[in-house]
Amino acid sequence: MQPSESRSRSGVRFKAAWRLPSDPAFLPVVRGAVEQLCAVFGWNESEARSITLAVDEALTNVIRHAYHKRPDGVIELICEEKESILEFLVSDTGDAPDPAKICARARESQAAGGMGTHIIRDVMDTAEYQRSGMANHLVMTKRLKQSVEGK
Amino acid sequence: MKTSSRDQGNVRIVAVEGDVDLNSSGELRKLLFEALHGAKRLVINLGAIRYLDSSGIATLIEVLKESQKTKTEFALFAMSPAVHEVFRLTHVIKIFRVYENEEQAVGGWA
Repeated sequence: MQPSESRSRSGVRFKAAWRLPSDPAFLPVVRGAVEQLCAVFGWNESEARSITLAVDEALTNVIRHAYHKRPDGVIELICEEKESILEFLVSDTGDAPDPAKICARARESQAAGGMGTHIIRDVMDTAEYQRSGMANHLVMTKRLKQSVEGK
Repeated sequence: MKTSSRDQGNVRIVAVEGDVDLNSSGELRKLLFEALHGAKRLVINLGAIRYLDSSGIATLIEVLKESQKTKTEFALFAMSPAVHEVFRLTHVIKIFRVYENEEQAVGGWA
């Protein structure tokens, strides 16, 4: 397989976008879809669960910290197959994340908060926070398995 | 998320079922804090949890800390591989007493 080819048998690269309210009631919907998507791309159950958890933690952080649990904010999630990676782009127009609080929790801490960003960093290959205009973006990537042939 | 509670001797056993996430962890926190007060021992059955996120872990840490204040013994049991994975990712497994099943959890202090 050439690097520029799709991982799917059709040769068409996968891309899906969600636009959802900052209401945690929608989180299970996204989790279900992401977990299924990970299975199609060849990750095993444990890997699929971890990737799903990382995406869920990113959405949860937006709801809690960008929109302060207001349910009327807008979150966009784009999952896109790119070369040898699957990219998850989470965007919102709430308060910008405080860089000092990202992964600020000591790993072995017994504090009850601050675990989400560690999960994202541990599970994903890359996680980068960006700000453009009034929008916050978190770009997370995970390297794809070699093949999903036979799926 | 659903919960059920019963007492066996001086041990209160709370079973948690379904998804524990941002949508439900506040409710779980309230419920477990209530269960903690008036109990000598509180053990939580995690076996029917379908999904757990870091807000659920945070809730269990808060309950653990409250149990230390109220001098109530607190433990978890029946952790599925999926739930165990979240504990591993959050590096907090060591602070909890964890048992494989209810029998061990209830008898864990005997």
